[in-house]
Amino acid sequence: MPWYFHAALKQIFPSGKLLSFFAFISVTGVTLGVMVLLVVQSVMNGFVFDIQSNLAKTNGDIQIVSRAPIVGWEDWLENLEARPEVKAAAPLAHGVVMLQARNRPMFPYVWGLDLESGPEVLPFEDFLQSGTMDDLDDRSIFVSGGVARELTLGVGTEVAVYTPLMLDRMKVDEVIRPITMRVAGIFETGWNEVDSRTVVVTLRTMQELYGLGESVHGVVMKLEDGVDTAEYAGVLNAGLSEEYHAQTWMDVNSDFLFVLRLEKTMMFFIMIFIVLVASFSIAISLMMAVIRKTREIGLLSAMGASRFGIGACFCLQGFLIGTVGTILGIIGALVALHFRNNIFHLFAHLTGRGQALTDAYGFSYLPAHYIISDFIIVALFSIFVSTLAGLIPAWRAARLQPAEALRNDA
Amino acid sequence: MTLDSQSVLRAKDVRKTFVIPGGELEVLRGLNFSIREGVSASIRGESGSGKSTLLHLFAGLEGVDQGEISWGPDSINHWSPRKRAAERAVRLGLVFQAYHLVGEMTALENVLLAARIAGTVSAETRERARHLLDRVGLGNREKQMPGKMSGGERQRVAVARAILNNPPILLADEPTGNLDEKTGETTMELLLELVREQGVALVLVTHSRRFAGACDEQWVLHDGILEASAEA
Repeated sequence: MPWYFHAALKQIFPSGKLLSFFAFISVTGVTLGVMVLLVVQSVMNGFVFDIQSNLAKTNGDIQIVSRAPIVGWEDWLENLEARPEVKAAAPLAHGVVMLQARNRPMFPYVWGLDLESGPEVLPFEDFLQSGTMDDLDDRSIFVSGGVARELTLGVGTEVAVYTPLMLDRMKVDEVIRPITMRVAGIFETGWNEVDSRTVVVTLRTMQELYGLGESVHGVVMKLEDGVDTAEYAGVLNAGLSEEYHAQTWMDVNSDFLFVLRLEKTMMFFIMIFIVLVASFSIAISLMMAVIRKTREIGLLSAMGASRFGIGACFCLQGFLIGTVGTILGIIGALVALHFRNNIFHLFAHLTGRGQALTDAYGFSYLPAHYIISDFIIVALFSIFVSTLAGLIPAWRAARLQPAEALRNDA
Repeated sequence: MTLDSQSVLRAKDVRKTFVIPGGELEVLRGLNFSIREGVSASIRGESGSGKSTLLHLFAGLEGVDQGEISWGPDSINHWSPRKRAAERAVRLGLVFQAYHLVGEMTALENVLLAARIAGTVSAETRERARHLLDRVGLGNREKQMPGKMSGGERQRVAVARAILNNPPILLADEPTGNLDEKTGETTMELLLELVREQGVALVLVTHSRRFAGACDEQWVLHDGILEASAEA
């Protein structure tokens, strides 16, 4: 082992001590920086991953939509389901309705679900908190948790449904009568956007509410595992006439996904300053060490140490602090992420604002998703910046004239 | 003092001037010196007479303005700083007034540092380092940190470090300057014993007439040149 590596190790881990005080402060700075960066990145990844997963589950992989209602969609389904890439396909009809219960109105999104093919594409059964798919018929409705809470609905209660079609009838002075439907189930997808204001009815009911007749708004499909969604949407579009368009769940939510990516990137850049600040603490600690140990540096020169060796000794200290801090930071991040929900619930309990957090962020738990490349990038960046922080003190130490250093009175 | 080819250290017509506010200070004015293997020489002089500067020039830590410094047959004047550092690691031992031990290393690690810098660490050097610590009376203190040692103990570690690599030349700058009289005397005796045992040429810069008198040759640095001590 070269002397400067040994000397650097001794400066960080002196004999008889676990860590020198200055190294402890610097290592703590790097550890906290790396830990916070990784926790934030992983939680952001978790949010993105869960949101994407929910988006795919509640939108289907690909939707074929048209400006006008699609007639003859049964042939489309037959054609699509015959393709090896398509796992299942179902008709799609959606819109907005007004619900009224106990004189309280609400305007949720409504989806028409084909009871035969729909569940294979949009797995609502997975989301049902009460009721079963068998309970849904043409005079019943599934409501999301948010709707149920807002209108104080439970399974078996009745709700009045008004549609935009009824407004047209009002124009010709018809008396409009709402459709009364029974709540057959309550669902929670885990994604607040859906859970706050969505209801599900049968496709036939939806066609009746919107006066669609036998037509639908589109066709939604689930692809086999491993099929590239964007690529397959391109294949479908190539075979579709201009009035139809195949769009992936990513296209449907492109703005939202862009904001998510932007948010993650911005968060990374903001958090990276913590590591940069930590690197400054390393630079200052090492600079202080150079000043404090000027005569020691002079002695090393007198003993035959080269300028390179002296510089390397200080630069390596930055590297070692960065490496130890990064390793501890990764361990700390993994521990914090493991107990994230305990911390989240404790925070919610202490503040008494658990529901507000759920409403604001759309999750009743703290998701996390580990991306190895994030860990590698953060680790390399942190070690690189820490080593860089050692360069200025190293340069200063290497420039010291041995005779002057030995004369130093410090 | 003779300028012969057997010298392990030689200074020939050395001049050194420092720029000071308001002019120049000529510290050494054509100084000549040489020392043979196994011989000890003391250099006394008033404070500010240039003793430490002379030692730095001998060690190649500073360059001469004029004249020549040679280690054995080799003139070091035109060596690069890197070459000087590499040669210094194996050909020179240095002992300073302030010990200059590395605070984060044990006594043994401090002694071994000389071998690490010279790139000669081996099982034998470890054994020799232990032997030297034992020789300076610190055989049972090899894991002791410098902060927990007395001044005399620290200086003995520094002496063991200086001779670990078997250098032909040992330069000592006021090695007893920070020690009380009794400890200084013990340390000095030990230093002289060791250089005789190891056959090292010792150049001792000191204020003490008594310690200077214990050396084979005694010199006084006066007015920029070395003069034979009248007490020799």
